[in-house]
Order: sequence, then C-alpha cells, then structure tokens
Amino acid sequence: MADTKSGSGRHSAAGGSGNTVLSPLGQGPANLECKDFQEYLRTRQTPESLEKLYNYPPICLAVFRELPEIARQFIIRILFVDQPVPQAVVTSWGAQRCAKEQAEATSCLTALNVWRVTAIPGGLSAWELSPTFKKSVRQVLLGGGKPWPMTNTLDKDSKPRDIAFLDTYAMSRWRCVLHYMVGTGNRSGTDAEAISPDAVRILLHANLMKRDERDGITITRQGFQFLLLDTRAQVWHFMLQYLDTCEERGISLPECLSMLFQLTQFSTLGRDYSSEGMNNQMLTFLQHLREFGLVFQRKRKEGRFYPTRLALNVTSKEAAATASVAMDEEATQDCGYIVVETNYRVYAYTDSPLQVAVLGLFTELLYRFPNLVVGVLTRDSVRQALRGGITAEQIVSYLEQYAHPNMRMVESAIHSKSCLPPTVVDQIKLWELERNRFTYTEGVLYNQFLSHTDFVTLRDYAQSIHMLVWQNERTRTMVVQKNGHDDVKRYWKKYSKSGV
Amino acid sequence: MGPPKKSRKDRSGGDKFGKKRRAEDEAFTQLVDDNDSLDATESEGIPGAASKNAETNDEQINTDEYGAKDYRSQMQLRTDHGNRPLWVAPNGHVFLESFSPVYKHAHDFLIAISEPVCRPEHIHEYKLTAYSLYAAVSVGLQTHDIVEYLKRLSKTSIPEGILEFIRLCTLSYGKVKLVLKHNKYFIESPHPEVLQKLLKDPVIQKCRLIRSEGEDFIQGTLDGKAITQFGTKLPAGATDKPAADHAAAAGAVVAADGTTAVPEDITDFYEKIDKEEEDEDEANLKTVSFEVAQEKIEVIQKRCIEIEHPLLAEYDFRNDTNNPDINIDLKPAAVLRPYQEKSLRKMFGNGRARSGVIVLPCGAGKSLVGVTACCTVRKRALVLCNSGVSVEQWKQQFKMWSTADDSMICRFTSEAKDKPMGCGILVTTYSMITHTQKRSWEAEQTMRWLQEQEWGIMVLDEVHTIPAKMFRRVLTIVQSHCKLGLTATLLREDDKIADLNFLIGPKLYEANWLELQKKGYIARVQCAEVWCPMSPEFYREYLTTKTSKKMLLYVMNPSKFRSCQFLIKYHEQRGDKTIVFSDNVFALKHYAIKMNKPFIYGPTSQNERIQILQNFKFNSKVNTIFVSKVADTSFDLPEANVLIQISSHGGSRRQEAQRLGRILRAKKGAIAEEYNAFFYTLVSQDTMEMSYSRKRQRFLVNQGYSYKVITHLKGMDTDSDLMYGTQEEQGQLLQLVLSASDLDCEDEKLPGEPGYRPSGSGGTVRRVGGLSSMSGGDDAIYYEHRKKNVGSVHPLFKKFRG
Repeated sequence: MADTKSGSGRHSAAGGSGNTVLSPLGQGPANLECKDFQEYLRTRQTPESLEKLYNYPPICLAVFRELPEIARQFIIRILFVDQPVPQAVVTSWGAQRCAKEQAEATSCLTALNVWRVTAIPGGLSAWELSPTFKKSVRQVLLGGGKPWPMTNTLDKDSKPRDIAFLDTYAMSRWRCVLHYMVGTGNRSGTDAEAISPDAVRILLHANLMKRDERDGITITRQGFQFLLLDTRAQVWHFMLQYLDTCEERGISLPECLSMLFQLTQFSTLGRDYSSEGMNNQMLTFLQHLREFGLVFQRKRKEGRFYPTRLALNVTSKEAAATASVAMDEEATQDCGYIVVETNYRVYAYTDSPLQVAVLGLFTELLYRFPNLVVGVLTRDSVRQALRGGITAEQIVSYLEQYAHPNMRMVESAIHSKSCLPPTVVDQIKLWELERNRFTYTEGVLYNQFLSHTDFVTLRDYAQSIHMLVWQNERTRTMVVQKNGHDDVKRYWKKYSKSGV
Repeated sequence: MGPPKKSRKDRSGGDKFGKKRRAEDEAFTQLVDDNDSLDATESEGIPGAASKNAETNDEQINTDEYGAKDYRSQMQLRTDHGNRPLWVAPNGHVFLESFSPVYKHAHDFLIAISEPVCRPEHIHEYKLTAYSLYAAVSVGLQTHDIVEYLKRLSKTSIPEGILEFIRLCTLSYGKVKLVLKHNKYFIESPHPEVLQKLLKDPVIQKCRLIRSEGEDFIQGTLDGKAITQFGTKLPAGATDKPAADHAAAAGAVVAADGTTAVPEDITDFYEKIDKEEEDEDEANLKTVSFEVAQEKIEVIQKRCIEIEHPLLAEYDFRNDTNNPDINIDLKPAAVLRPYQEKSLRKMFGNGRARSGVIVLPCGAGKSLVGVTACCTVRKRALVLCNSGVSVEQWKQQFKMWSTADDSMICRFTSEAKDKPMGCGILVTTYSMITHTQKRSWEAEQTMRWLQEQEWGIMVLDEVHTIPAKMFRRVLTIVQSHCKLGLTATLLREDDKIADLNFLIGPKLYEANWLELQKKGYIARVQCAEVWCPMSPEFYREYLTTKTSKKMLLYVMNPSKFRSCQFLIKYHEQRGDKTIVFSDNVFALKHYAIKMNKPFIYGPTSQNERIQILQNFKFNSKVNTIFVSKVADTSFDLPEANVLIQISSHGGSRRQEAQRLGRILRAKKGAIAEEYNAFFYTLVSQDTMEMSYSRKRQRFLVNQGYSYKVITHLKGMDTDSDLMYGTQEEQGQLLQLVLSASDLDCEDEKLPGEPGYRPSGSGGTVRRVGGLSSMSGGDDAIYYEHRKKNVGSVHPLFKKFRG
C-alpha cells in the first residue's frame, strides 16, 4: 500500500509563470507606524491609566477637542446631568440617517473611556460619564480648581523674540536631531550641533536608530522612513516615543501630557510664558522640549519661555494641514528644491547635508556643486531604498512635497494632481511591484507513492477537481490546495481500499 | 555621546555605486566622445587634439560619502548666482536651467560650443567635447569669446581645467581655411603667423603653387556679404529676428528692478558676440592666403590634420565662374521654419558655403533644408540617400519646393536611370556610387560623367547610417566643393560618429526635439512600452534554449501577438494608420500573414514596395502595414500616426529614434488632443528584451520623451476575436517556433551591414529562393497556416503573391 504522507507546506510559484498575483506578503518586517493622538490614547493606555490622565483638566480639554463633533454634542448634553442617561435616549437625539456617524461617536467615547455603560433600574442600559472626566471638563469650562502652571503673569520681556526668530530657532534645533540620525550632525564638531544622551535614548527606544556590533549607532529602516515624513509628523512621532520613555526617567506621564497639551493647544505663538510653579520633573521636561526646539528659553534657569511653531498644533489632526503649510512657507529653504526630469535625473538645489542624505537614500548622486546636487533615480538605487523598508509611496510623496516651484508650472502638472513626471512615478511603483511577484498558495504535499499508477490516479483526480497546485512525475510528488486536501484524502482512502 | 558611525556596509556600497555610476555615466555620454576605441586605421585623418577628453579631468576629484563627485572645492558660488543659468563641471558637463530668463541666450551659445546630452523639461545637460569646440570655432567663435561668455553665464567660477581644455581645443582649430575661389584653391587665414608655420612644413611647401618667383602671401580681404535671405519669399519678420531678440533682452534688463534681473554683462556680451558675427559677415576682414595645387589637396588636408591645424573647407560659390549656375530657385510657397533658417544661417554664415552636418528630428523638414541649400548654391548638386524609395522621395521634394522640373532632376538607381547629361541635380544612393562590381553600360556612362563633374554641393542624407569606409569611397569618387550632411540622430552604437566631424565637417546645428514638439512642428508622440507576460510554456523554452532561439521565442510570445492584434484593431477603429515594425523576418511574415496585412521586407521588389505604400497612403481599406527594418530610415509616410514595434535590433538607440521619426511628421488639425501619435514597443516580460528596451530608449528619453509603461491593456482579456487565446493554439505556435531554422532566428541583414550575405548578382539586392523557403516556411507546419488563410487573403496579397 502506498504510504501517503501529507505535510503542510507553502508552495510558491515564481513570477513569470502566467498568473502572477501581487500579494502584500512579500514585504519585510514592520514599518514605521504613525498614530494620531486618539489612537495613541486608545492603544497605549489602559482604562485605569486613562482615568489617571483625566485628572488633568488640560488633557481632558484636548481629548474633548479631538472628539468627533457628535461625540462633543453628547458630552455637552449630559455633562451636567447627574444620573446615567438611557442609551435609547442618546440614540434618539440623532436622525436615523446619521446612525452611522452616531455609532462612530459612541464607540469613540467608549474606547476613550469617557463614558461607560451602567444598568439603571428597569433593566435598561445607560451611559454614564466617567466622574473624573466630568469633573475636569466642568472645571475647564467653568473655571475653578488649581491654577494651571504657565499661566502666571510675567513682567514684559525686555528683549522679546519675534516669530521669525522662533521659527529659525525651532527648525535649527530640530534639524540637529535629524542630522544626528543621518550621521552628519557632529561633522562640524560644534557643541550646538550635539544632541543629549536623552534624545539618543529616545531614538534608540523608538527603533529609529540601533546599536551596531561595534557599539556605534546606526540608523534603522524605520529611521529612514521617519526622515521622509513631514516635520509635523516627525515631531509628533518623536514626542510619542518620548512619552513612552518618560516614566523610566521618573517623570510622570500625565503631567508631561498635560503640559504638552497646554503648550501645543492652549498657547500662542510669539508669547512668552512663565515656568514658575513647575516642579522639578516638569522643569526637566521643559529642558527636553527646549533641546528639540519645541520651546525657546534664553537660559536654563530663566523662568520664561516661548513655545515655537513646532510645538503648536503638533497634536491635532485638523491643524495638521494648515500648520505644515505655514511651516513650509516659513522655512523657504526647505520647500521646493527638487527637480525631477523625465529622464530620471534629479536636481536638488541644496547644500544641506540632511537633504542630501535623504536624497542619497534613493538616488544615485552624481555631482555636487556648491548649490546643486545632481543625481539619477536608477533601478538599483530605488531597490536599495525599497530593501531598506522605504516604500515607493514614501519616495514619491517626498519628491512631490519638495518639488521645485517650476515643476508645478508645467502643463502636465497642472492637469494632473502630481507635479512629478507620471512616467517616473509609475516606474518607481513598478520597481516596487517587481519585488512582490511571489504568489503564495497554501497546500498539502503528497509524496512517497509506492507506484506510478497510484501517483497518476491521485494526480488526475486532484486535477479533475481543480485542486492540483504542482506535480512532478519523476519524483512522484504533488501539492494539493489546502481546501482540497480533505477531498483528495478521502478519494485516496477509497481508492487504496478498493485497490487492496 | 559620539556621533553615529555610518556602517561599513554603507560605505562600501557607496563606492560600488560610484563605480557603477561612472560606467553608466559614460554610457550616457558615449554619443559623442570616446574615440579611444578607434583602431589605428580608423583614427587616421583625425587630429590629435580631437582625442582629448575632458571627461578624465576630474579623476582626482574626491567623491563624497554618497559616491558623488564633489566639485564644491573647485568652484565658488557667485553672489548673484540666482540670475545666471548654468553650472560647468570640471569634466566638461554643463547644466543649464531652462527656466532662466537668459535661457535663450545661453541655449544658443551652448548649442554652438557643446553637444547636448539631455534636454528634458527643466534642466538641460550639455557636454564640452573636442568636436563641439571645433565646430564652435569653425562657425566663427573665438577662444576668448567662448571663455568670457561661459564665465558670465555660469553661477560659479569656471574650473581651471575646463578653461585649459577650451584653449587647447580651440587655439589651433579653425584658423586656416581651404577656399575655392575663382576656380583656384587657396589656403587662407586671418593670422599670417599661422600660415608661416604651415609653410615651414616640408610637405605643405611642396603643395604650394607658386605662379611667379618670390611671391609672398596674397593679401586679401574677405568681402563676403552674408546671405541672410534664403529663397525669395522669406517672411520679413524672420530677418529682423536678431534685432527682436535684442529688444527682448533689453526688455528683460529694463524689468530688472523686479525679480527676473538679467545680469547686464550677459546681455551686453551677447549683443557683442552677435555684432561681431555680423561684423565678420559685413566688414572687410583682412586675410592672407597662398595658392595650392589642386591635385595635392588630399595631401595637404591630411598633413594639416597631422599638425593640428585641420582645414575648414569653404566654398565661395558666388565667385565660382568655372562651374555653370543652374537655374533653380525656391518656389514662393516654400517658407522656412525658424529653426530651418537658423541651421542654414550657420551654413552660409559668411557668404560662403561651409561643409557640415545639420541635425534635425525626423519629420522636421530635413529635405527642405537640403533643397534650400541647393537653391542657394545654385551649382550642380548631388544628393545621396540610402534607398531607392528615398531617391524617389527626394525627387518629389525638389519638385515640390523648388522650380526644378523633371528635366533637371536625374535619378540614378538600379531601377531608374535617367539621362544625366545636362541635368542640374543628380539623386542617387550610396550603394550605387560605391558599387564595385560590373555595371551595365548605361550605368558605367553615368558613373564616368559623375566622376568628371565638379559638384557644387553634395547633400548626404541619413549621414549617420553609412560606415566610414564606404563614406571615404564616396569622397574619393565624387569631387564636390561643399558637403552638407543631414541626419536625425547623430549617434552610432559603435561610436564612429566622431569621424564625420572631419570627413564632412563640424555639426552646424542641432534642434531641440521637445521645443519643436511644443511649437507643433513635429507630432506629439505618446511613447509606451507594453509589457507582455511570457506564457509559461514559452518561458520554459526560453530559459532552457540556446541564445539564437531565445530571440524568436520572445518575439513570437503569444501574448505579444495578442497585444499587437489588439492594438491594431483598436487603432483601426479610431481610423489611424498603423505601421508595425519587426526586425525578425520570420516573425514579420508570421504576424502579417496571420493577421492578413501587407508587408514589406528586404526581398520585396521596388515596384511592390511603392504599390503597398501608395495603397497605405490612399486606400482607406489598408490601414496597417508590416515592415522590416528596411523602412527604418527615409520611408516618408506622412499618414502614419501609430507605430508598433514587435522586434528590434538589440539595444540600438538610433533605430529607436529613426523609427519614432516615421510618425513624427506634424499631423493636421490635431493640436487639440494631448497626443496625436502613438509609439508602442511590445516587450516580453522577464526576457532580454526588457534590458534592450531600456537601452534603446536612452536617446529619446534624453531628448525629453517619456515612456509610459503599460502592464495591462484594458479590454484585451474580454476580446474574443484575438488569436492564440487557447492553450492548444499557443502550443502549435510554440512548435512552429521550435521547428524554425537558425536563419529565421536572425535579424534581417541589409546590404552594408556586417553579416550580410548577398546572394543575388548585379546591382540588385535579392536573396535566391521563394518567400516561403526564406522563412523556413517549407516546413509542413508553415503550410498548414497558409492553407488556413487561403480563404480570406487580402486583395493586395493575391496580387503580390500571384
């Protein structure tokens, strides 16, 4: 009797064999994940810790502001109702056609632990706001409670800083971090360029950089992806990572968050604030913010600081668009310096080591002139970037984001939404697709047939029910699709019984 | 904490990159330089300085951490760099911003002194080469002008090495001219010291013709008045153009308070150069000269090249009384386009005719330039082209644009032999002239006549296609005063193109494809590369079989066939005229017969060809023809607007450009559409064809064309009319391919190419044997297919195949 051994295996069919289907399976390890604030709260925090956070009015206000509009309506309606509100009542507030939005708002509030379900007499379930959240929001809206730090009045600054100064300061600080990542930071060797061990620790923690075997530090693929993000997203991602690690260095997370929100959402650009009344932990936090360029402080000990544009609006989704535009306009040297030609040439009007380094990730650089870098997008260079975990989408969006103003004035750019030559965009995407040409089919391997007839019978059967994936007569091996395995097995049992 | 170290892997990766990149870089620019590869016999007749190469100037330059050549230490950025349009790299590459306010000035200047490498939308790359500088000098630019203007246009300081290179290449060039004046040959130069130097050379001394004892240099003045008018009915505005330019330039300066400030020194200098050019034209320039013996011309030319003073040939045709004028003028209807006029202005710049090459895209009206040149010289003209069909087309062109009639134009081909005596214009092919075997008595007579004549002008069509050897033969047989080369693509895969610079003359003008396209002079072409997946059976064979069969496998790939059929059908429904190109004759015939379309290839007779082409032009039922590479050049098919390429000659950039040229002629009333012509290349996925195709596209991509990759033709899967849909049919096709003979696997060979096996006799080029045995069609399988088709043969076939 034939010994049919079946083992589960994966069979892959090489590309070029006709029916190649693209699958996302070919991609490597995890890519950089970017979360917005809500997602951060939902995924990183337990209900208990959320409760703790809600003790801080600024956090509550920030959460409140970020909620969907309907959810905000719900909260305002039940904020001053002291008993749970039946679910049916809440549902009746909205028209039937908005049921979907309502459900969304409801689930959002539940996920953030802003309200929870309780049973009320009569067997109905009802919504009840979290008491801490309720208290804090009431406080924010009506006043009362302890005064917030930062709100102390200050004497007029004798040398006030204007917005332009703050912008350049912020960008130069932030670039230090980026420069450090691409390894160009300390080349000039000045102290101002260096970044603190704390910042390095954050980069390591965030997996943006890693220690190599010789105890040096190198950038990771996530790090490269990080560089391709716009500045706002970079700062936000970086701050999230900072918050993750702040407990380790003895700074309380809720306090940090609370202060971050005061800074980002409730302060004005170009105004100075007082650091009076902050505890030591918060002062350390302030120093960190200062290092990354989120606030400007003349001296370490000075009780006065200015929030910068980097800090403002970094947390909110809506502001993202407007903020990044403003940022681009301010930092003119940052925007619009890349020209991409239809012959895959890339010309970048820059001498910034950072920009050159980023370009170097996916282009082959040919020449460097004092204010121009000439490179070419080749299959090899793009593939190298793809191997490094950068996606074609990221490359394209980076090139688009920094496209030279002249690129936008071309006829074809006006008609289509992208200002890059369409063929170049297509080609970059095709180069990415090239890498994903395996089709995976789960299957079961049949081998060690005792006779040729057995093999042929079973193979023909499998073929007749269209379950055969692959077969080789010489080695008497065949692979059957997984969902066909039962059928084939049954047939084999029947066949071998009748055969004996 | 210390700075992060870049990992070692990165670093070595960078180095490797660098090397690879350089190799590629060279490939990109090999259109013009690199004549190191010339063997000894080929390189004779080319001066030493020509082999100088700026490319190696930057070998010592450090590369930065990304493998890029770091020129930052070599040049200083100027403070007003924003207003200046270009960078000059130490290796001779020049980058020009096309959006700069002084672009026009810079562009004209760079075209004169350098070779365009790539000219896409925004930033153009040029390259200074020995040849380009030679050309610059020969159209009258001076070393100090070149250096000075380059300095003014550049955003940075110019690297010292480049200045040195320019001086080296220009100082000795262009100083001496060989002038035919009053039927005597003179060596002429505005620099007496150069002539002194030449005369010290014993070889040249011997060639000097001294009519009276103790004769010194002939003092002379160049009193040539520039020819600024071609033909009679030039629009008045055209001649005022330079003036208008100046006005525009001045306007730019006026607007200088704004942002688009043009540094004044640029415009000033531009005007100065322009004026100088005109001065040279108008004023009487003092020159000295000595006469040389006519029979020693060859010797003296060669010698001058050896001592680094190549002679520029100029023909003072208005003072030539020896050769009779022919009565030919442009018709009033013939109006030159601005770029055609500009190119001719370069040729007749100082009232004499210079020899040289004019490069215009196919379909941009090269023939009109040739005709106008002949009408300007008004001496006997000889036109050489490379096929019988184009001989006919040239005759048509002459009749269309000029007052010449049938009696003045004489064709000299194997098929048509007009009486040459007394005619003014002779049109023939290269192979007719260089033919070495026995000719008919008639042809012999014509040849003798041809050799006896002193031709005023010789127009060489598609000049890039002729091998240097053949070319030298032509030059020894035919005596002409002035040579005008015309071509669309001044490039060869073997890089022998450089020879032309010294065999004909420097490149006088090269047009920018993208600009012509924008102005509507040539069609707007959508280029597309269609990826056809190899069917599994074909791919298996492809991987295991030997090389020559491989090619047949990817050409005959059933999904390629289906794509081709689909595209033909699609465009026929749109009412387009389609040409399908295949280098492989086996595939050509199989496709054409299967789809029931007429086809032309090497053995097709002249009459049949013309008949098919006429039908294609005028018969609304014949919308698609299949052609082999015989149609690559000079088949003028103004109606065609779709081109499908199913097989091609390896990675030939020239072929790609020539083929594109077949559909470039501007289409009527199609401005509204974004594209009015389509160029498809069908490529079998995952085969050698992919890399070939990338190589082929390089030239056009550098001209600013972009190729769209189509991975899936919409609607093809649902179309049930397409052939080879079933496995069974595909299997039969595979059998057919596998049983094909080795001969079928090869590309078609044309006369003049290495590997061509002439089997006919006499002047004609024919292979012995029937059509079917030529293709390996004697196999039973082949006949099977033919039988299938018998019922529905197109009327054209019935006629041709008897």
